[in-house]
Amino acid sequence: MTHRLPRAVHSSNGHSGFSDQEAPAEHPDVESVLQVVQRAAADLLAKSPQPPSTLNVRVGDVAVEMGWNTPAAPAPAPAAAPAIVNNITPVAPAEPAGPTLNAATVGTFYRSPSPGAPPFVSEGDEVGPGQQIAIIEAMKLMLPVEAERGGRIAEVLVSDGEGVEFGQPLFRLAVADTELAA
Amino acid sequence: MFAKILIANRGEIAVRVLRACRELGVKTVAVYSTDDADSAVVRMADESVRIGPAPARQSYLNVAAVIEAARITGADAIHPGYGFLSEDADFAEVCEAEGITFIGPPPEVMAQLGDKTSARAAMTAAGLPLLPGSVEPLADAESAKRLADDIGYPVIIKAAAGGGGRGMSIVEDEADFVRTYQQTKATALQLFGDGRVYVERYLPSARHVEIQVLCDTHGNAVHLGERDCSVQRRHQKLVEETPAPGLPHELTERMGAAAVRGALATGYVGAGTFEFLVDTENNFYFMEVNCRIQVEHPVTEMVTGVDLIAEQLRVAAGERLVLRQEDVRTDGAAIECRVNVEDPKRDFAPAPGRLEEFVPPGGPFVRVDTHGFAGYKVPASYDSLLAKVITWAPDRPQAIARMRRALAEFRVTGPGVHTTCEFLDQVLADPEFADGKHDTSLVAKLLQS
Repeated sequence: MTHRLPRAVHSSNGHSGFSDQEAPAEHPDVESVLQVVQRAAADLLAKSPQPPSTLNVRVGDVAVEMGWNTPAAPAPAPAAAPAIVNNITPVAPAEPAGPTLNAATVGTFYRSPSPGAPPFVSEGDEVGPGQQIAIIEAMKLMLPVEAERGGRIAEVLVSDGEGVEFGQPLFRLAVADTELAA
Repeated sequence: MFAKILIANRGEIAVRVLRACRELGVKTVAVYSTDDADSAVVRMADESVRIGPAPARQSYLNVAAVIEAARITGADAIHPGYGFLSEDADFAEVCEAEGITFIGPPPEVMAQLGDKTSARAAMTAAGLPLLPGSVEPLADAESAKRLADDIGYPVIIKAAAGGGGRGMSIVEDEADFVRTYQQTKATALQLFGDGRVYVERYLPSARHVEIQVLCDTHGNAVHLGERDCSVQRRHQKLVEETPAPGLPHELTERMGAAAVRGALATGYVGAGTFEFLVDTENNFYFMEVNCRIQVEHPVTEMVTGVDLIAEQLRVAAGERLVLRQEDVRTDGAAIECRVNVEDPKRDFAPAPGRLEEFVPPGGPFVRVDTHGFAGYKVPASYDSLLAKVITWAPDRPQAIARMRRALAEFRVTGPGVHTTCEFLDQVLADPEFADGKHDTSLVAKLLQS
């Protein structure tokens, strides 16, 4: 699900062949355009019922896109992966038991706000929905990883500074008491 | 040579690129969307990185995700295949900025040639023949119409940022021009995010003949002959062959020389294809340059013995072309059929699904480039090309016969799965095609009957 600025021209990420548009006679300066875009983006963020998992802003042809991930199914375990395949995800023999919080993007996983600082969360911590639990760096952007759901961190599945792929489980939450079999 | 290459594509071309890397001792990284988790290239690659969900925009077109996957795996080059990011000058620039070699032409060359209007201007300056049309961007409908009136109808209006047969409209009647012009601009804006169009004379029965070029970073360029791609449905190629049937050798040599001139004039690097139209009097006209490896590259490989993907890798690694023009020899005839997962009886509607049986043809001088395998689930999210069947023989009639034999052997079954094999065979059996007298209207005529 995405939410867009009204009347913004849709710009696909990485679309080919953009060249200078036929320039209109009057061209607002970049600074004021940026300010308008920033205000609109902040406005959208404030109005959205849930914080988005991704926010893309593009100034050429002005587009603001927000995306919300539907809770992703845990990544399927590679079935009997042949020895020559060397995925960067550890080939787990079995699925983690509890629900997982997964990477919404490819990038480098960081546990702390900055090098040497204490990690956002550790095993045993309770997290609330929307709480920042990590950072994924992609193309020099530090993208916050926020818990899509609350719970207790049962396991941290990725090491600090490790590359992660889309949908890769980052944290395993403890199975909630109410979910345990009677 | 690179130590590790990331293949920023999927399907059959990803497998093709992987094989070239394997033969050159280069490690491979496959990137894939969630729908392609069990794809052939992922199974075969040394490493793989899942980069996004199924939609191409969030995966194969996702520049940040692809670059990050390259950084994480330490890939020193990216091969973009065809389609997706292969002609995205912005992506090529980002690669450069990140210190990753983009296997293709420099970004500024790609930008110049990717814009059909500036490409036309560049080729005019290089002395190539062009159909009458605009070489400057069109200011508005009125001046566009004046130009069209000058050129003479029918004209074709094409998106400057387009290609691959999309975003084009033919205008037969002067009265329809302005409306069609505006509609085409709107379509172009929607399809390519760029509403600029250009106008050109339209040749209703013409042959689409393209020239394969190879250029290195040391100022050397060769052409490897032509391909005829006139069998098309709605501007999408179905059957390609080399040599172009019935074209005098001296004509194709002149076209080859023109393509090399155009390539050198624009500083092209890598494998590229210069597309021309050939009219009924054997005049040829420059159409566009495709700044990437093409789907139909195998037919050129079959008659020349040159591994085009390997050459792309070598050129990108800074090596000099070993081939000189006098070394390029073509032998025999080669044909390629694109087998799509589509149902010809339902207007070629995509017919994806799980492949129960997948038994490609084999035998002498039969090549199959595919990512299919028994049990593979053809995803609905991407184009419908499943396999390319290529045959070679000493002459064209034998190559056609061999292709018909091969297509008849090709077993692809599965619930709801259809392929275009039978329809392709109909094309091959058509007397006009057999005589080599067909043009781009062949398929439409066949489908109408």
